[in-house]
Amino acid sequence: MLRAPDRIRRRGLRLLSDHELIGQTRAGDPVAFELIFDRHADAAFSLAYRMCGRRAVAEDVVQEAFLSIWRTGMRYDDARGSVRAWVLGVVRHKAIDTFHRETAKTGRDVLDETAAERIPASGRIEGEVERREDARRVRAALTGLPSEQRHVIELAYFGGFTHSQIAGLLELPAGTVKGRMRLGLKKLRLLLDPPSGVAS
Amino acid sequence: MNSENHLPAHEGCGADTAAYALGALEPAEAEAFERHLEGCVICAEELAGFQRTTDMLAPSAPQYAVPSGLRARVVGGVRAEPRRSGAADKRRGRAWRLIAPGGGRALAALATAVAVALAAAVIVIRPRLSGGPGGARVISASVVDSAGSARVRLSGGRAELIIRGFPQPPAGLIYEVWLKRPGRVPAPTRVLFSVTGHGAGDIGVPAPLNGVSKILVTSEPDGGSDVPTHPAVIVAPLS
Repeated sequence: MLRAPDRIRRRGLRLLSDHELIGQTRAGDPVAFELIFDRHADAAFSLAYRMCGRRAVAEDVVQEAFLSIWRTGMRYDDARGSVRAWVLGVVRHKAIDTFHRETAKTGRDVLDETAAERIPASGRIEGEVERREDARRVRAALTGLPSEQRHVIELAYFGGFTHSQIAGLLELPAGTVKGRMRLGLKKLRLLLDPPSGVAS
Repeated sequence: MNSENHLPAHEGCGADTAAYALGALEPAEAEAFERHLEGCVICAEELAGFQRTTDMLAPSAPQYAVPSGLRARVVGGVRAEPRRSGAADKRRGRAWRLIAPGGGRALAALATAVAVALAAAVIVIRPRLSGGPGGARVISASVVDSAGSARVRLSGGRAELIIRGFPQPPAGLIYEVWLKRPGRVPAPTRVLFSVTGHGAGDIGVPAPLNGVSKILVTSEPDGGSDVPTHPAVIVAPLS
């Protein structure tokens, strides 16, 4: 149960956009920070879990990511995309940092589907339905890529591997890996973010 | 990044753009590419497009609800560590370095909160004082019906609660630290906390501790309470 002043503040802050809440968070407002957490924690945990494959590690990654946002007052750059994308970028960096700290990488691509609770079908927060539709579109676009392009993109983005590591894993020249990344991202971009006048 | 890409000419550009957007360049390559970007509009434009695309990848992962205990730990960590307005600007310059690979160690310790188990009965605490480094005093404490350990480290008028091997707080609850003075009801410190995934946490107890006879920890509803609503799960006698 929140204290009365926090409850009142929370009600007011709930009306603010993510961008405005980030500003409040940087000013040291813990209630604004909690709202940012509530809006984006599911996506953050899901990404960390996808990358780490272990629930406990994913939880630590998300905890570190959010607390680092709070502690360091990282500056959100709205030119770089939405607050959600920014938060997820921080989470992704944290996960990769964790990979670097751990010597063993085995098992992190294997999801324990029973260990975490799937988000219920009904929308939890405003915009959730739209986000799910976006996610479905991205998954469809990824699936539509040639497998060799999809693999290098997934290994890099979700696995946190460098192109050199991927080249070693797949026994390919580094240039080939970079080329596949580029071709794959170009296709994804066309599918997901088409230039005006091009139907997706 | 090959050497040709450092040249002003745009021929051969782009070989590293996708790998950079995916965070897949080696650190030295990434630095070289960033230098190249400063003078190459073509790569900068392509990168912006690729970054919009990579920003969309994260939500394509299977979606899960965040564990309730995780929220409690993060909120507890934030409440335990109020940040002064303006601190952000002072730290801005190093923020991204902190999250760069290898830089997260500086943050690893902060995330730790503390933990204890909720139970009905309180174990009698037998204080055991021992010397610590730098003149610190360490007080051992027992906990209630739970694995793990708790102790308080006193140094220079400051106290730190150190907890290891404790479970997460019950769903919807968070741990709160109280200061007990003789003949008075426990006073809230507004320090709320939980534990890491490994059940560990180090948390500062706010001063002043003048007249405080015990540091207590209870489980409280998320957001904390003004008076304890659950039995103490850690009791650390200071006198």
